Amino acid sequence: MCLAIPMQVRDIDGFLARCEAKGVSREVNLFLLQDETLQAGDFVMVHVGYAIQKMTEQEARSAWEVYDEMLEKLDPAHA
Amino acid sequence: MSTSAKTWLERIHALPIKNKLRIMNVCGGHERSITMAGLRGALPKQIELIPGPGCPVCVCPEEDVYQAIQLALHENIILVAFGDMLRVPVNVGKADIRSLEQAKASGADIRPIASPSEAVRIAREHPDRDVVFFAAGFETTTAPVAAMLAEGVPHNLALLLSGRLTWPAVSMLLNSDTPGFDCLIAPGHVSTVMGPEEWAFVVKDHGLPAAVAGFTSESLLAAMYSVLRQHLEQRPFLDNCYPEIVRPGGNTAAQRVMQQTLQVVDANWRGVGVIPASGYGLAPEYAHLDVRARFPDYTDTARKRAGQMPPGCDCAKVVLGKIYPNACRLYGRACTPRNPIGPCMVSDEGACRIWWSGGVRESTAAAIEV
Ligand code: SF4
Repeated sequence: MCLAIPMQVRDIDGFLARCEAKGVSREVNLFLLQDETLQAGDFVMVHVGYAIQKMTEQEARSAWEVYDEMLEKLDPAHA
Repeated sequence: MSTSAKTWLERIHALPIKNKLRIMNVCGGHERSITMAGLRGALPKQIELIPGPGCPVCVCPEEDVYQAIQLALHENIILVAFGDMLRVPVNVGKADIRSLEQAKASGADIRPIASPSEAVRIAREHPDRDVVFFAAGFETTTAPVAAMLAEGVPHNLALLLSGRLTWPAVSMLLNSDTPGFDCLIAPGHVSTVMGPEEWAFVVKDHGLPAAVAGFTSESLLAAMYSVLRQHLEQRPFLDNCYPEIVRPGGNTAAQRVMQQTLQVVDANWRGVGVIPASGYGLAPEYAHLDVRARFPDYTDTARKRAGQMPPGCDCAKVVLGKIYPNACRLYGRACTPRNPIGPCMVSDEGACRIWWSGGVRESTAAAIEV
C-alpha cells in the first residue's frame, strides 16, 4: 500500500493527469501539487493515485530500477 | 554520479564500530528494501537493523476493523478499503466472520481500492447507496484522503478514518525506559509530505543520530553510514539522504490540505494502546462525513479480546521493534502469508510478511502448543 512509484505526466486536465510508468497508463490526481507548475513530460512520485512530489527524470529512472528488482524478488508471478 | 551501494558498504565496514549498534527504521518500504537487498547480511555484524512502527495496517485498531466488518454485514452499504485491510483478522469466536474478506465471501458488498479517487468514483456510480471508505494509513496515505475531502465528495460517501502519524510512536519509544535503538532511519515518503523537520526531535530532545532515507540500497546505506558516523563522532544531526523528493518543509500544499480537512487526535494503536496526538480525525466542518455520525456503532467493546492482537500473536512487540518477526512462536508455523494469524503477516508493510518474502522461514522461538 505504501509503495509510491515515479510516473511521467502525459497530459493534464485541471487537477487530473494521465501519467505513465513503464508502458502502464494511469489517471493521477495532482491536487496535492497545486503549488507547483506541472506540464506534460514532468516526473512525479505517485502514491495511492495522488502525486506527492515532483522529481527529475534521472531520479525517476533509478527508482524504477529498484522497484523492478524488488517486484521480481518478491513475487515471481509479477515478473 | 551518485555513490554506489558497494562504496557505501566499504565505508561502513571501515568505521571503527566496537559495540553493538541498533538502527531502527519506521517504514515498511524501508524494511522491504533492506530485506530484499540482503543488507543485514552485508553489514558488519555489530550493526543490527530493527524494523519499528512502519505498518499502518498492523496498528489499525481491531475495533475499527470489526466495525467495518459489521457495517458491511448489517447495513446496506458498499464498503471500500485499501486491499491490505481485507485479510486483517479480528478477535471473534471460531464460527464468526473474522475478516472483511470472509464478510465479502458471505455476500457483503466489499470492494478493495487502490486510491481514494476510486472511493469517489464508486460513490458516484451508486448514488442510491451509501458507500463507506475505511481509510487506514500513515501520513503519506492520509494526505491523499485529505485531498479527496477538499475536492469534495458525493453525499453518499462516509469515512471510517484510521489515519495515523508516525513520529508520535517513535517519540513514545524514546520516552520509555527501553527505546530499543541507538540511531533512526526516518521514513522517506512521510518526510516528503510532512517535511524532514518532523524528525528533528530525535536529535534535539534525545541526542540520537537520525537520517531520512529513500528506498534504493544507495540511499539506505548512505543514511546508515551517516547515523553511524554521527554516533561515533558524537555529533548527531538530522541528515537527509533522500533529497530527490524530500525538501525542507516538505509538501506545504499537502500539509495545508490536511490542516483544512483533518485534525490531530489521540489515537489507539492495536495491541499498543492510546498514543497522544498520533491519529487523524475529521475536522469539524467534515464531521458529518464520519461513519459514526451516520450509522449505528457496532464496535462491541465487551467482546473477548476486543482491541487486542489475536491470541499468541506478538505483532505489537514486532511493530515496536521489541522483537524480530521470527521470534514469534507462531512465525512460519501456525502463521504464514497463506494463513496469517496477525496483521503483520497480512500487510505488505508488515515485518513478518516482509521477512517471510525475504526467505526467513524458521521461528527462533521454542514451539508451544497453541
Ligand atoms: S508471525 Fe504471525 S502471529 Fe507472529 S507476530 Fe507475526 S503476524 Fe503475529
